[in-house]
Amino acid sequence: MSETRVRPALQGKELILALLRWILIIFFAVYTLFPLIWLVISSLKTNFEFLAASPFTLPAVPQWQNYINALTVAGLGRMLLNSVIVGLAATVINVVVASMGAYCISRFRFRGRERIFTLFTAGILVPLNALMVPYFVIINKLGLYNTYGGMILLYCAIGIPMSTFLIRGLMDSIPMELEEAAYIDGCGFFGRFFHIILPLSRTGIVTAATFQFLTCWNEFVFANLIVSSEKLRTIQVGIRYFTNQFSTDYVSMYAAIVISIVPSIIGYVLFQEQIIAGMTSGAVKG
Amino acid sequence: MKLERSDRAPLWAFLTPAVVLMVVFFVIPVLYVVGISFFKWNGIGPATFNNVKNFTLLFKDKAFTRSILNNVIWALVAGFIQVPLAMVMAIILSRKPKGWKFFRTVYFFPQVISGIALATLWRAVYNAETGLLNGLLNVIGRGDLACDWLGGIKTAFPAVLIYWIFYIGYYMVIMMADITTIDESYYEAATIDGATDFQQAIHITIPLIRRTSLLTCVTLASVMGLRQFEQVYMLTNGGPANTTSTIVLYMYKRLQDSNYGMAGASALILIIIGVVFIICIRKLFEGRSETMAPGKRRAGK
Repeated sequence: MSETRVRPALQGKELILALLRWILIIFFAVYTLFPLIWLVISSLKTNFEFLAASPFTLPAVPQWQNYINALTVAGLGRMLLNSVIVGLAATVINVVVASMGAYCISRFRFRGRERIFTLFTAGILVPLNALMVPYFVIINKLGLYNTYGGMILLYCAIGIPMSTFLIRGLMDSIPMELEEAAYIDGCGFFGRFFHIILPLSRTGIVTAATFQFLTCWNEFVFANLIVSSEKLRTIQVGIRYFTNQFSTDYVSMYAAIVISIVPSIIGYVLFQEQIIAGMTSGAVKG
Repeated sequence: MKLERSDRAPLWAFLTPAVVLMVVFFVIPVLYVVGISFFKWNGIGPATFNNVKNFTLLFKDKAFTRSILNNVIWALVAGFIQVPLAMVMAIILSRKPKGWKFFRTVYFFPQVISGIALATLWRAVYNAETGLLNGLLNVIGRGDLACDWLGGIKTAFPAVLIYWIFYIGYYMVIMMADITTIDESYYEAATIDGATDFQQAIHITIPLIRRTSLLTCVTLASVMGLRQFEQVYMLTNGGPANTTSTIVLYMYKRLQDSNYGMAGASALILIIIGVVFIICIRKLFEGRSETMAPGKRRAGK
């Protein structure tokens, strides 16, 4: 893209448009950030300050104590740990299974390939929320209700279409000649997978893994559906109980919400490119 | 690659885990939803065939018809207000004004924060006594407008709907990715002819993304609107008087009552409405196709 497009000096209508443009840009930024900033500031006030003063006043002394309250009262540590365990396990298994599947679909022509391909593509479009009933029944039938295993299996499964799609996209772009040369040199099915295809599709795998982990981390509906024990609650399910746990201790509750949001924001800032690629490539190419 | 005999066994070994997961968690559940809709089952005893009674009961239930109405409104607002807003911002930011990367990052924030955390945040914003919104109204001297946003019959649904509309980051990023693939020479020619930025957006950018990313975004946004659950569950749990209920929330409540047949039937209706929406939107976008063929627009790519 050329960024040095020649433009005449702004005047009249153009000036109004430029002004309007910046009003819009700033409006959406403020709209997104302001409630978050308000939340953080409120989480550092005392309950008295929070109830008495206007939303714009800053706390006299930042109340870091609220964060300690949040961590102890809600048992946030345990929930964060659960989310990490479930998210990591589901992501690792998901990416391994998806890479293997993507390798077969991308590199080989065999009977039934088209049908399997259609199945994976259709999977992306299914409204998962509508499958709550069967998921509940299946997880129960498998004896996995209220277990880490149930969450890990379900998360791993619902991410398969997307991960396969992302990884296959990269594998498709690896030239066939490379693999054929290795084949002539006597490299077998597994050898070609581990030594050629897997290393070359690294970026696709990282994108899929990042996207999958974020999805697991933020997932609420099914965690809420197939887990009832307090010990197994993920952070998202935990949020649902904040209002009861903290009742009138607003500021500690806000601290708890901040703690639950911060990992997502940090992860996003660190893996921004992968996350944006993962969340948009399906839509753009699809 | 040609499949060698020696590759056949490892190939299927590699494919099986993914295929099994797909069958167990996609194929069987969809068939299950279709099947269970015609049965009466409480989750423990035997299921009895119930013909179409689940569906007649559903449509007699005001809470369900209200849920459908809410979902349809939600899908339309998402597709035809939220996405156009996102498109405007995509056009503006793809011109790379100062700090565009920062703004893109910020607009995308709501997409990486969980729905349940966002809903909790907005519940705090809308809170009648301690909320940010009423606080703001007091500060600007319009305290008379302050009210219990999520508790009032008239305000609850708009409140639940509106906070969501201005989170445009996802659709904006999709359309930005599309806009950057448009051949720069179109704009150069237009600039030489003296076309303003605004005219270029109307006559070049929008027609060129209309049948690609714009169509995708309208479809995605509408489907998202039909799937709403966490927001209403957390903000109002469907109340007051079911005015904010959605189909998925309704389904969840039937599931909690162990009324699996009704839950399945509402899931099936949701899937059908989704398919109808997707088809209608495609028709709408194909209907007026006076623009150039999408394949011809991207020279030198």
